[in-house]
Amino acid sequence: MTPDEREELAAEYVLGTLTAAEARRVEAAMREDAALAAAITAWEARLAPLTALATPEAPPPDLWRRIEASLAPVRAIRTQRPARPHWFTRVWALGATAAAAVLAVVIITREPAPLMTVLLTSTDAPAFLVEANARDGEIRLAALGAQAVPEGRVRELWALPQGATAPTSLGLIPADGRISVRNTAIRPEPGMLIEITLEPPGGSPIGRPTGPVLFIGRLLPARGT
Amino acid sequence: MSDAPLAALIQSVARGERDALKRVYERQSVRLFGVANAILRDRDRAADALHNAFLSVQRRAGQFDPERGAAEAWLAAIVRHAALDIIRAQGRELPSDDPGLGDVPVEPEALAALEASEQGAALKRCLETLPEKNRQGIVLAFVHGLSHPQIAARLELPLGTVKAWIRRGLLALRECLA
Repeated sequence: MTPDEREELAAEYVLGTLTAAEARRVEAAMREDAALAAAITAWEARLAPLTALATPEAPPPDLWRRIEASLAPVRAIRTQRPARPHWFTRVWALGATAAAAVLAVVIITREPAPLMTVLLTSTDAPAFLVEANARDGEIRLAALGAQAVPEGRVRELWALPQGATAPTSLGLIPADGRISVRNTAIRPEPGMLIEITLEPPGGSPIGRPTGPVLFIGRLLPARGT
Repeated sequence: MSDAPLAALIQSVARGERDALKRVYERQSVRLFGVANAILRDRDRAADALHNAFLSVQRRAGQFDPERGAAEAWLAAIVRHAALDIIRAQGRELPSDDPGLGDVPVEPEALAALEASEQGAALKRCLETLPEKNRQGIVLAFVHGLSHPQIAARLELPLGTVKAWIRRGLLALRECLA
């Protein structure tokens, strides 16, 4: 796509004049094409004032109740894994459940609703506590007790936002098991997967996990109330 | 929190705070229902659009970035696209047989509504540099969800002319606003 074509497509998508099929294609493409997504964002901003020309009107009084009724199942679905289950199927459910149980005890006084998860060992013992701040993007990892790392290997921390196709490296985990990172490409959100893999010295050479997944868990909001 | 900025409320939605979405709805639903109804011209379908849009808001709140745009615009875009999805599913690609379509006065006095905001005033100045039918075409598409063929029928212009004018008009707007 040339820059001119991209610009035209973004503008007509925002204007609303594309056909249903064209609009679907743009929506699929913008997930992969950052330049297209940016062009769309810019056009949304340019034309947004036009929404002031629509006459405000009160919605039907029962509409919020209807929305709320639809939200509940969506929330339940969100804590489940979308499509690609292979490397975490067994562990994440345990992690999520355990996190929910542990959070109420451990984190009750923190606010406002940090995102947390507990990463478990293969015997379901808590191994790492992960805390993330959706506001400033900070993700903190703390080892719960000492963990042996095989000679000549390192542990690498990854985040996989919901809907993303590949995890993003958050860095190598030092020997003491504590790390605090802020990666501008990663915005912590409920449902995001956090995982630790075993990698060669220096970390994965290809930007994706190459070694076994040691631990995995899914961020959940820690509601203290 | 009742006075929290809208952007902060959306970030609360992203953190899974249950009341935040309701607060967004309470503050914005009258404006947003108007946006959907201007496109759909049917209260039941506009309610469907707002329903779908708020489910999207909850799902996508984590993608909202206050540094890349205002919360009001982010919400309105979600509602507009939800409404456009519905109207497209109804086959709007035919010239409309609804004579009242787009008769909501948008010219010229209604453009004054744009002056309420700084960006709106800039957009109004730029729109006013365009030929009248070009300007009308853009407003009919954005505000009322008309397709190219519907705009052509309404403005009594050939379809190809409408497409070319709108394309040129958008590029002119971009340059004018830069």
